[in-house]
Amino acid sequence: MNPDSVYLSSEMPDRADHLWRYTPWRKAHPTGNVREIPDAVSTPKIVLKTIDGSSLPEGISLVHEQTEFDDLPNEEIITKSFLQSVTKNSKFTLSVIPKFKSTTPIVVDIQTEGNYCATHLCLEIGRLAEFELVTVIRGECKWFGMMRTGSTGEGSVCNDVFVNKLSKGVTLRVESISIPRDSQFKSGTVSSGSTLTKADLRYRMFGPGGSLNVLGSILSAGEMSLDHHIEIYHDSPETFSRLDWNSACGGSSKTVGTGMLRVSKGSAGADAAQLFSNLLLSSDAQADSIPELEVSEHDVVGCGHGTASGPVDENQMFYLGSRGMSPSESKSTLIAAFLNSTLSEMGGDLMHGWLISELEDDLNELGD
Amino acid sequence: MSEGSEARDAVGDYKAGWHDPENSTIRFDFGLSEKVVRDISQIKNEPEWMTEIRVKAYRHFVERPMPTWGNTKELMEIDFDKVCYFLKSSEGIGSSWDDVPEDIRNTFDRLGIPEAEQKWLSGVTTQYESETVYHSIREDLEKQGVIFLDMDSGLREHEDIVKKYFGSVIPYSDNKFSALNTAVWSGGSFIYVPKGVHVEMPVQAYFRINAKNMGQFERTLIIADEGSSIHYVEGCTAPTYSTDSLHSAVVELLALPGAHIRYTTVQNWSNNVYNLVTKRGVAHENAKIEWVDGNIGSKLTMKYPAVILKGEGSHAEVISVAYAGSGQHQDAGAKVHHMASNTTSNILSKSISKDGGRGSYRGMAKVMPKAENCRMNIVCDALILDEESRTDTYPTMEIANSTAHCEHEASVSKVGDEQLFYLMSRGHTEAEALGMIVNGFFEPFTRELPMEYAVELNKLMSLEMEGSIG
Repeated sequence: MNPDSVYLSSEMPDRADHLWRYTPWRKAHPTGNVREIPDAVSTPKIVLKTIDGSSLPEGISLVHEQTEFDDLPNEEIITKSFLQSVTKNSKFTLSVIPKFKSTTPIVVDIQTEGNYCATHLCLEIGRLAEFELVTVIRGECKWFGMMRTGSTGEGSVCNDVFVNKLSKGVTLRVESISIPRDSQFKSGTVSSGSTLTKADLRYRMFGPGGSLNVLGSILSAGEMSLDHHIEIYHDSPETFSRLDWNSACGGSSKTVGTGMLRVSKGSAGADAAQLFSNLLLSSDAQADSIPELEVSEHDVVGCGHGTASGPVDENQMFYLGSRGMSPSESKSTLIAAFLNSTLSEMGGDLMHGWLISELEDDLNELGD
Repeated sequence: MSEGSEARDAVGDYKAGWHDPENSTIRFDFGLSEKVVRDISQIKNEPEWMTEIRVKAYRHFVERPMPTWGNTKELMEIDFDKVCYFLKSSEGIGSSWDDVPEDIRNTFDRLGIPEAEQKWLSGVTTQYESETVYHSIREDLEKQGVIFLDMDSGLREHEDIVKKYFGSVIPYSDNKFSALNTAVWSGGSFIYVPKGVHVEMPVQAYFRINAKNMGQFERTLIIADEGSSIHYVEGCTAPTYSTDSLHSAVVELLALPGAHIRYTTVQNWSNNVYNLVTKRGVAHENAKIEWVDGNIGSKLTMKYPAVILKGEGSHAEVISVAYAGSGQHQDAGAKVHHMASNTTSNILSKSISKDGGRGSYRGMAKVMPKAENCRMNIVCDALILDEESRTDTYPTMEIANSTAHCEHEASVSKVGDEQLFYLMSRGHTEAEALGMIVNGFFEPFTRELPMEYAVELNKLMSLEMEGSIG
């Protein structure tokens, strides 16, 4: 069915829905008129390169065409059909051949164009591939839509990081990634851009031995509102998942972290945990966490979740002050350490160093 | 198969599942209308303002859609036209058990209420169907000014207090079921504890549904004045029928400055009762409200005891346990709103799912922007005992003040093989070992119960665990 008709014939989501409680669809829509699919949505400039500027290894390519992808169960029809509609001419496939190996992280550099801009990136990762991937968004558009779909290959090891460096505007991000047998997928999110972000990230482990690590380092300042929803499905035995989501909120910003961890019947030996941590840096900042859990299998290694919110530790501030640091330096250091606990897990040293350099300016701003 | 034998078969291990022949003095036809609401009010000879509130609530109930969250499938199966909204089985309220009709007295004898009253209670109220049938309070408490009445008598004798506080904590517009309760409420308890009075022994209410397709809608209002304290215990049972009954209560607590209210519930409805209850308390300066909430029975329970921490230094404590067996969904949890500075709260939730049962924790913890230095701790533990069962956790934390320290943790696990092995190596059978582990899991709840309740609950859980393994 045509995605335009699917979208326009769908019932608009209710705020009673878990997904839309904090950021209603109207706010994440480019024009606010939810019955409209805007025509003038441009295609961003996308460049595939290595993180250190060296030549791109053979076996990885980005082509301007669409690959078929399988839908995940219970997907949100509104955002998915809307993004499919506005990315008809902006579909890319990132292909990685089987047994591809790269020690240098690969960058998908996306430069947005125009007022409204969107793209659909399909991942086609071959079996036993091992590499690190950074997708970075830059530019000044008013609205950016990003959909990523696809599957990792059996036995593959992939560290994948999404970095939002948009200077303003709204970002709508939807991800549906399937993780097959013995595949290890690490999905990091570094968000310090956009005034409003609505992200719906879904991962499904459908083969034994699948492993997923979802990490978030979220900096929100000024009047930003960053809403991330993460759903993880354990649909096969002996699967493993961890979610660690760290948000630092300053100014009068707001972060929302909602998680849904579903362990289906038959997923014996599942081992799953989620942790949302929030650092509140100013009196007007707000952090909401809703880590949900649905377990239908009794023979699990363990399923748990946790959330913690609090201010910067006064004792730590005092200690750093006693070592000669100004309050502003101490605060920046503690915020950096807090965010670094997830940032450092997202990839190897090269990737980590690159991420730190990308975030440096924003961190200093929060410390002030 | 006769109705009696059908019921007996359905009762199984549920000890309170028998029923008595129905001897009603007034019984309304099935279904709800504005006339039913006005008739209930007229029978009770209520003041005009209460009738008006009932009618407004009824209209709100009709207009308001069913909740779109929770077990919507089960909720949609409730047929409000097949519920009896008022049934009176006794002409008056007895102050001695001899005044209570014999069949009803026998029921409460079998449930052990008169015996418990003599041993360890300050006061007792028992509700059978829609109305209170027995009520007593110790003389010394009455002399100290403690008011402990059924809600209907409370409205008659203390209209000014009831008018001031009724619906002040839970307005009828709060949710669909609080609207239903406000429209057709009958029975429940009204308690006022004067300044500085400590009611040392608990007061108890016991709620029994006997008739088929019955709706019980008690309304409870407890006001603890400055520096006072009270412990209220409620229990409930119903016969097992093949058709469903509806229990939809509203409980409002007001703990004025420095007061302490503990509200303990041991809910053991039969597995054909929808238990959709709204419970909320407001804690003023340095007051403390505790909900000790046990959910063992019912078909579907949706109950989230709440505390509004309105006064500085106030404290909320919620201990909630749920057992979800075959055909049951226990959707329980807690809500705490930190409105004032230096407020603290603890929530401990434990659930066990077995034989295809589903246990859910659903919670809301909120810190408002002006509430400085609040602390909150939430712990949810769930045990799944077999492959047919399911457990869910839906916590929500909304923190709008940077000085708040808030923690939530939840875990789901199965009974550890090494724990079973250890206990069996000490000579226990598998069932005994499992019963002990489960009782240990529920121990944070049972240790807060009066001794008699704790012993009964442990026995009940041990019985439930028989045949769980192998």
